[in-house]
Amino acid sequence: MTTRRKIALLALFVLGVTAFVTRKTVTAAPQAAAPAKAAEAPNSAPSGGLSIPDTTLGVNSSTPMSQRIVHYEIDARYDATNHTIDANEVLTYHNLTGQPLDHFPFHLYQNAFQPNATWVREAKRDGSRDTAYDHWDPKEYGSEEITSLEVVGQGDLTKNLQYISPDDGNKDDKTVADLKLSKPIAPNTFVQFKIAFHEQMPETQARSGWKRDFLLGGQWFPKVGVFWHGAWNCHQYHATTEFFADFGVYDVKLTVPQNEVVGASGVEVSDVNNPDGTKTVTYHGDDIHDFAWTVSPRYKVKEATYQSQMGPIKLRFMMQPAHWDQVDRHEKITRETLDHFEKWYGPYPYKTLTVVDPEPDSAAEGMEYPTFITGGTSWFMPEGLRFPEVVVEHEFGHQYWYGMVATNEFEDAWMDEGINSYTEVKVLDDILGKNTSMINWAGMTLGEPAEQRLSYASVADRDAMAQNAYDYYSSNSYGGITYGKTASVLLTLEGIIGEDIMAKAMHTYFMKYRFTHPTKEDFLKTIEEVSGKDLRWYFNQAVYGSPVLDYEVSQVDSDPVNWYVDKKDKKEPKKGAKDDTVYQSYVALRRKTDFVMPVEVEIKFDNGEKIREHWDGQSRWTRFSYQKKAKVVSAEIDPDHTIQLDRNNFNNSFVVDANPKPTYKLSTYWLFITQWVSQAMAWWAV
Amino acid sequence: MNSNKGLLSSGFSMVMRNKRYIFWFWLLNLTLAEFGTAAFRRSAHAILDHSFLSDKLMHSFDIGVVVELLQRPEFGRTDSMTSPALYFGFLFFLFTAIFLPGVFAGYASTYRLPREEFFRTCGRNLWRFIRIMIIAGIVMGAITAGLFALNGAIVKKATESTNEVLPFALQMIGFTVIFLIMTTLRIWFDLAEADTVLNDQRAVRKSIAAAFKHTFSSLGPLVTTYVVSTLAAVAFLLGGLSIWMNLVRPDSIIGAFVIAQITLGLLLIPRFWQRGIAVSYWQQHMQAPVAAVQATEATPVVTPPAPVAAPPEPVPVVSGSSNPPEETH
Repeated sequence: MTTRRKIALLALFVLGVTAFVTRKTVTAAPQAAAPAKAAEAPNSAPSGGLSIPDTTLGVNSSTPMSQRIVHYEIDARYDATNHTIDANEVLTYHNLTGQPLDHFPFHLYQNAFQPNATWVREAKRDGSRDTAYDHWDPKEYGSEEITSLEVVGQGDLTKNLQYISPDDGNKDDKTVADLKLSKPIAPNTFVQFKIAFHEQMPETQARSGWKRDFLLGGQWFPKVGVFWHGAWNCHQYHATTEFFADFGVYDVKLTVPQNEVVGASGVEVSDVNNPDGTKTVTYHGDDIHDFAWTVSPRYKVKEATYQSQMGPIKLRFMMQPAHWDQVDRHEKITRETLDHFEKWYGPYPYKTLTVVDPEPDSAAEGMEYPTFITGGTSWFMPEGLRFPEVVVEHEFGHQYWYGMVATNEFEDAWMDEGINSYTEVKVLDDILGKNTSMINWAGMTLGEPAEQRLSYASVADRDAMAQNAYDYYSSNSYGGITYGKTASVLLTLEGIIGEDIMAKAMHTYFMKYRFTHPTKEDFLKTIEEVSGKDLRWYFNQAVYGSPVLDYEVSQVDSDPVNWYVDKKDKKEPKKGAKDDTVYQSYVALRRKTDFVMPVEVEIKFDNGEKIREHWDGQSRWTRFSYQKKAKVVSAEIDPDHTIQLDRNNFNNSFVVDANPKPTYKLSTYWLFITQWVSQAMAWWAV
Repeated sequence: MNSNKGLLSSGFSMVMRNKRYIFWFWLLNLTLAEFGTAAFRRSAHAILDHSFLSDKLMHSFDIGVVVELLQRPEFGRTDSMTSPALYFGFLFFLFTAIFLPGVFAGYASTYRLPREEFFRTCGRNLWRFIRIMIIAGIVMGAITAGLFALNGAIVKKATESTNEVLPFALQMIGFTVIFLIMTTLRIWFDLAEADTVLNDQRAVRKSIAAAFKHTFSSLGPLVTTYVVSTLAAVAFLLGGLSIWMNLVRPDSIIGAFVIAQITLGLLLIPRFWQRGIAVSYWQQHMQAPVAAVQATEATPVVTPPAPVAAPPEPVPVVSGSSNPPEETH
């Protein structure tokens, strides 16, 4: 053991010198040289061999909660003037794939923010919320450059790095670099990479980068792909994709100017001032698969404690000064959301949760990282506008649907964004009211279910849920389908299997698959198992397909049976007397589109009688007929309002006697606006 | 201050003496807007009237239902709703331009202006007003565009600041400055319009030049009076909306219509008040002295009105005729 250690140390020294001499740039962007000194990482591998730490400093658990594949030790220095990061990263990887690995792909996400990168091409094509590319300045680009890469035991392999573009073949895309090893890594052994890298952070795009004196360090370090289902899974960075990584341990040292207020994933271990006017803040994270951080000299911070099922959680709210009066709103919704998730889905095991209110207008709002989320608000935000609550709830939800249930966000975006949107509806409806969970202000209301359904309805036939996130027709389609459709599909599913069963299925899914990488079938089968129902007919249409659901009440008629009798021969009933006329009534339903779904219909008669009918929806239409001493007054498909997926809710019902009042109400508003605009025009023009 | 008060009160009393103008302009405004909103109403009726979903609109203003309505292909494109509204809005502006000379004449008159006289004044001044509007459009358009561009540049620069509220504050300050400058320009052309009508001035350039001189020689009092009347408009609007939101039940269509129309009717008053102020100012400062007119032995055609002393047989204000007007009822 002693001899091996000496050999290893000698080899490390030789490789370090070699790496220094033969250091090679692997990105196109010319950058300053990175510090050459090797990382002085904490909790480094025990002598005599490599391992992943089994620490539990970051979780309220005495044992590790995940199968830890990776251990990142990063020592980073941030230049706040130039928005650059120079860092040394030591990555220890545990090969649990069951087979030898002869190459390792690495994500270099910040290279996405170059003009010819796939991310920018797609964002420019679809329209980005982040940047007006016609005015994009090169100083706002981002880049990520591995200046040296050493594999312990194999020497400096920087020259072996090759950019690959597995998704679209874009030769100019440098967001994935593949490293060919000199010799394979045997199953169940460890390999350690020592990487020096330099980064130019972009002006914020995709919730990463700088704005004014603020920085959000997201996807900022070379990150290894995931070996999944027998192959490496390491996609390029796309405008609509997020991330996928293995669980492990993170030890990160951040050296920043002393005036900066720092927040990050994990638990803060130390905060030491340096003689050069900087300070080094050290963080440790257990059972997480990413690490993000932020700095700004202007954050105002509130700390609090939440008592979870597994132990205390330190809540940290980092607010913009102009939003300080909203800190209690942020804390309240965080606590209430934690209450609901712990009660409905399972415990939150981490010891910290940092809620960041990012720089305004920074494209850094609404993002999730392990134990670290960004919200989004503005200085004017009345209580009835629930956008801060919606964002905080949604991003917290990702601690479960992404953070712990770590699905592949490149390939199954609906499994994190969509399932999270579904739980967002459930939680916010419970806290803020079903019809008022988004807006309840100035007489206007909007509920979460309606918002999700409308976002889906506008792109209903564009794409299926189960497809790569980067293969959607447009960013609008991606948003409407992954978020809105998934939420609507799962809300509709409640109507099929029952709300309680659905809640049980969600709890089971979380507890079974937390700290793993489940597939879509894992999720769907869990629902089938818990409900005891074969739901393939539904999943095949709703999840795997793109048929649209639209049912319509197409005919409501009531005619006297003796319609042929001349009117003058008919006896008109006296006023107030019972009408003995027998009517032949018809109610026809149409399935206007391809989505087949059994539905209920409620038919009301003018004598107060109600009839509920069931239609399996297999044919294109059906007709119900009645002969009664009463006329049909209305027919309504889905009277319990369980079908969220129907694209057009107006035609789900038909009332025989027209009610013009809603139109008059809207017309009054529109009339007022029209008159007022006319007056304003005349005010100034003549 | 006293002169401000004098202008405000005399201008306001002109509006009150001629309340019928407010009524007719309100009716015109409402009628044209009814045409402008017909397409919207027709489309909405077809979708909402027979659906249970529309009930949600009655108990609150459910944005989800409204958005779903707008998303329906059978509802039509949004611009098919907004275009008619804008078209009829433009018509209101045109009709205002056509009838405004009569209003000026009515305000300056010491008696109730006969209908024929009203329309004759409108007809006689139509082309003059068009010329003033073109000049005003060029001047106000150019200056306003420049001011908005400058304001936009300042605000954009302010977004580099770490003070989040600064861009908004600067924008509001900018809007206030633009409003004051626009108001000054509006005063200038209001006085020009008043002079054109009341002096029966064919050469509108002379009215514009005279109005320019007077606007800037009495800038303080005139701007103050216009700002006060604008604040009244803001108060009417906010008050009306507040009553609408807080006192009118969500399902009360009639209540909503009545409060909306009362608000819109009241909103017309401040602008007519400003025109009254312009007429009052013209009478006090821009009207040629009667003695001077008599000295030149001017024909009765150009005899200016005698605003203070009501003659036993009133002389028409702007008419070339010396016949006494007919009282209308």
